[in-house]
Amino acid sequence: MKLIEAYVYEVTRRLPEKSRNDIALELRSTIEDMLPENFTEEEEMDVLSTLGDPARLAASYRDTPMYLIGPKVYDAYMWTMKMIIPWVILITVLVHVVETIVLFSGEESILSVVIKSFGIIIANIIHVLIQTFFWITIVFIFIERIGMAKSNGSITMFGTEWTPEQLKHVHVLPKKKAIPRGEVIFGLVWTVIWVVLYINADHIAGVYRSIDGEGLQMMMPALNQEVLMSYLPIVLPFALLEIGVALFKWKERQWTMRLVTVNAVIKVFSVVVLTIIATNPTLLNEAMIPYLATELEINLSSVHNFFDWAVWTVIAVIIVTTVIEIYDSYRKAKA
Amino acid sequence: MGPLLETFTTELRRGTLTLAVLSQLRTPQYGYSLVQRLERAGVAIEQSTLYPLLRRLEKQELLTSSWDTTESRPRKYYVISEYGSEIYEQLKKEWETMTFELKTLLKGDENDETD
Repeated sequence: MKLIEAYVYEVTRRLPEKSRNDIALELRSTIEDMLPENFTEEEEMDVLSTLGDPARLAASYRDTPMYLIGPKVYDAYMWTMKMIIPWVILITVLVHVVETIVLFSGEESILSVVIKSFGIIIANIIHVLIQTFFWITIVFIFIERIGMAKSNGSITMFGTEWTPEQLKHVHVLPKKKAIPRGEVIFGLVWTVIWVVLYINADHIAGVYRSIDGEGLQMMMPALNQEVLMSYLPIVLPFALLEIGVALFKWKERQWTMRLVTVNAVIKVFSVVVLTIIATNPTLLNEAMIPYLATELEINLSSVHNFFDWAVWTVIAVIIVTTVIEIYDSYRKAKA
Repeated sequence: MGPLLETFTTELRRGTLTLAVLSQLRTPQYGYSLVQRLERAGVAIEQSTLYPLLRRLEKQELLTSSWDTTESRPRKYYVISEYGSEIYEQLKKEWETMTFELKTLLKGDENDETD
């Protein structure tokens, strides 16, 4: 008898309050019906085992769904996740990188800042991903329970039931022409990081020296920040254009001739601007050359020669990679 | 092979369950008496499926129920409603066409094999 009570309790405690009593009464009389007049404990157990796990029995009594996100909204749920998560990661990384560069004072060595930032970024990404996952899931559980209860079809990314009309919006992407999303995001991050570095060059690029084993300390900036700033009215529009091209790429998702042309024009002009800035004789911090000459015990002209050589190498490398990049995009668009 | 076959069989049987239950409720039955009637006819049914099914059919207004407290233990009796009878008749017709169609299909299969 005790077992029957326990069984009935195990079933009904999982059910909504209002149906509990009725089901308990019915279940108890049914179990008793199944048992002979003076039953043993063994017979009792036999009967209960034919009824099976109380949790399962309770589940079949309930008519609310036993899942959080059902097949109707699953597709939309996954699609939303895939859309949002890359952006969340990108923004998290970007915010931290920009913050670190802006706040960089040169008192700590670059390496230790980079290592520390790396750890913080990973931790932030995990934190933000958990948050994103949680909130999107909550919203979709809500949609599952309330919004979709009436309609039979599943929702698509248009937020409506599927019709053949939607096929008109489907973009069949040729694999050869496709621009990977990762490439676009990387391009965006790259541009922003360079702009921030450019504006903060006097805090970051310079002559570093280890003093009394206390890590690297910046002795003097390598570049003339005023000269850099005087070019800012040209550099900034180009950075914005780069971002614009990235967004254009994101939208098109494949190389088209129009995209190749716009991209090539912007790239070529950027290289020209870069060459002008890099070859400006006042760009280098004047105080640095005599300082390096005495420190390294070489004459002034060798230092000058070294810098000239370095600048032109960098420019040459940039020109070559830009040409390769433009040719590559042209090849893909023609494919 | 065993468990897979069992899954298919359970699936097949589940579809026919409502029909089997409705057919036996023209006279009022309580849970266990219904189980016995079905078992006597050779319809094996999991009891943990049957009792929730009865409640669901009642909620869908195919059945009505009443408690009988005159006996030593109270029993809940279920009987088919008017709406339930209508559904039952239509469902029965569906079943008959379906078995007829399937029979033809399965027969065709046998003929193919002997050809």
